[in-house]
Amino acid sequence: MPKRRDILAIVLIVLPWTLLITVWHQNAIAPLLAIRKDDGAGGRRMAGTAGDSKEYCSPDKDIVEVVRTEYVYTRPPPWSDVLPTIHVITPTYSRPVQKAELTRLANTFLHVANLHWILVEDSQRRTPLVARLLRETGLNYTHLNVETPRNYKLRGDARDPRIPRGTMQRNLALRWLRETFSPNSSQPGIVYFADDDNTYSLELFEEMRSTRKVSVWPVAFVGGLRYESPKVNAAGKVYGWKTVFDPHRPFAIDMAGFAINLRLILFKPQAYFKLRGVKGGYQESSLLRELVTLNDLEPKAANCTKILVWHTRTEKPVLVNESKKGFTDPNVEI
Amino acid sequence: MRMKLKLKTVFVFYFMVSLLGLVYALMQLGQRCDCTEHDKMKDNTIYRLRGELHKLQEEVKKCDPTKPPKKPHLPTIYVITPTYARLVQKAELTRLSQTFLHVPQLHWVVVEDSDKPTALVRDFLSASGVAYTQLHTLTPKERKLQDGDPSWLKPRGAEQRNEGLRWLRETASATKGQQGAAMETSVVYFADDDNTYSLMLFEEMRSTQRVSVWPVGLVGGMRFERPVVDKGKVVRFHTGWRPNRPFPLDMAGFAVSLRLVLTNPDARFDGDAQMGFLESSFLQGLVTMEELEPKADMCTKVLVWHTRTEKPKMKREDALQKQGLGSDPKVEV
Repeated sequence: MPKRRDILAIVLIVLPWTLLITVWHQNAIAPLLAIRKDDGAGGRRMAGTAGDSKEYCSPDKDIVEVVRTEYVYTRPPPWSDVLPTIHVITPTYSRPVQKAELTRLANTFLHVANLHWILVEDSQRRTPLVARLLRETGLNYTHLNVETPRNYKLRGDARDPRIPRGTMQRNLALRWLRETFSPNSSQPGIVYFADDDNTYSLELFEEMRSTRKVSVWPVAFVGGLRYESPKVNAAGKVYGWKTVFDPHRPFAIDMAGFAINLRLILFKPQAYFKLRGVKGGYQESSLLRELVTLNDLEPKAANCTKILVWHTRTEKPVLVNESKKGFTDPNVEI
Repeated sequence: MRMKLKLKTVFVFYFMVSLLGLVYALMQLGQRCDCTEHDKMKDNTIYRLRGELHKLQEEVKKCDPTKPPKKPHLPTIYVITPTYARLVQKAELTRLSQTFLHVPQLHWVVVEDSDKPTALVRDFLSASGVAYTQLHTLTPKERKLQDGDPSWLKPRGAEQRNEGLRWLRETASATKGQQGAAMETSVVYFADDDNTYSLMLFEEMRSTQRVSVWPVGLVGGMRFERPVVDKGKVVRFHTGWRPNRPFPLDMAGFAVSLRLVLTNPDARFDGDAQMGFLESSFLQGLVTMEELEPKADMCTKVLVWHTRTEKPKMKREDALQKQGLGSDPKVEV
């Protein structure tokens, strides 16, 4: 009947237009934000590191301001009320190279403004070695400890890990953060898991300071490659992982390759690293999948093209000449 | 009839509009958008943060009681670091620079094992913020460690350290007057790029008159090696390996005053020296055991550790390279 066909025709005409208008309205805002962020990250280089020039370069406006500041040695940089605090969680355990590792790590952290070091020992009680070291650095720190139960510790063969090393310690630090900070406080913070044998560039900390949810970047010397990195598309979104080892993990990334906004940690108080039954390489995913989706990840380090952190490992020193009784004076701390 | 016509034109109309829309979208791809609103907000935040940062740095410059005042006679420490290209090189130099940045009046002499200066080291040093000199000298083939050789087989870095000494001697003789006299009080330290140094070590060595010594951790197969001090003098050496060497010390366990280096123009490292005798080959002509100055609380504290970094496993990378799918070589690691 002509009337029905009329109606049909009108519906067919109007429907696509309403769809078009709603979708276009949504899309008009989101791409604008994404594109603008990329321009910002690419053109800016955060200063505060070893005394070069700071530049702010906006491609549209042609403002280039170069301020050369001479590096001033200060231990550590004065606390700023404006910069978000970077909470660095480092699990550590006693072994001959421990003091050396923590020393050079402290030397690195002394350059980073608003850094709060949460050092968690795998021990029954806090050792005087670590306590003294932390005190002497002058850093802002929190000293915690929790002992991984003996039968769960990684034994000689890494092929049968029970609890991956450092898990309980990292979880304790997360719990401490949740007990210390309330979700309603406006203190901005970033959480980063830094193992004590890796190498971190100073630029990395400035990159992670602007994390809104979870930011990611490449890590060198992991997964049997020169580096592993997230795959970033033209719109600046992470869509996959450039790894050889199980790239289909939910988050195929190393512990050193991401940072989380403190607010996210506080708003999701149930999110922890899974203790048991975690396949090798899935530790990071066990936490991240409770916090964020792939789409929410923020790529840093020039859209994941620069290496700012290296997964170095320190050789175990061969103490052949110590013998059973110990040759050197045990009172001398190393 | 009229109905059918209407639908047909509508569809044709839609098709044309979609086509035009698609063409428009394709043309918009890659174009800048008008984001002045977002620009303004971010600009303000950035400007405010930059101002804060600048203010903090000014404040710090004015009142830092712990920083030793830049007296003109604070002896410079010349740190000679031999280095060579390998995967972990940039990482090692990075964390080393982070330590050196805390030490005032330090001049880093980086000597590459190469026939010409590399871009990696050049760019790294210029961005590091440390006062530096970049040198290079190639180790002759027969003295070089081959793949698979244990690290102790041949002494490493001898040619590079000698090149550092040569540069120091040349620079000192070219520096006249007050600056030249000041330079004579400088201290020379040989710092390998994989060791770990505490900040206190550099303050201990700054007062070196001839050759000062201290313990080194994690070396010689022991927790630490050290000179044994009695009544303020070194009487023997506590080491687990060949204690009868003239100077059973590690490279990281001593510093030499530049004056001593200049008054002994032939003192250098012997690249052909036996294993463990490299340090002795240099120190022998310079000083006797009685003249050594013990530091680090009469050699009872460990302020430097002979750490070594593992060679990263590249099995998967190698496999990919064979297939031509290796990681982007332009990304510097």
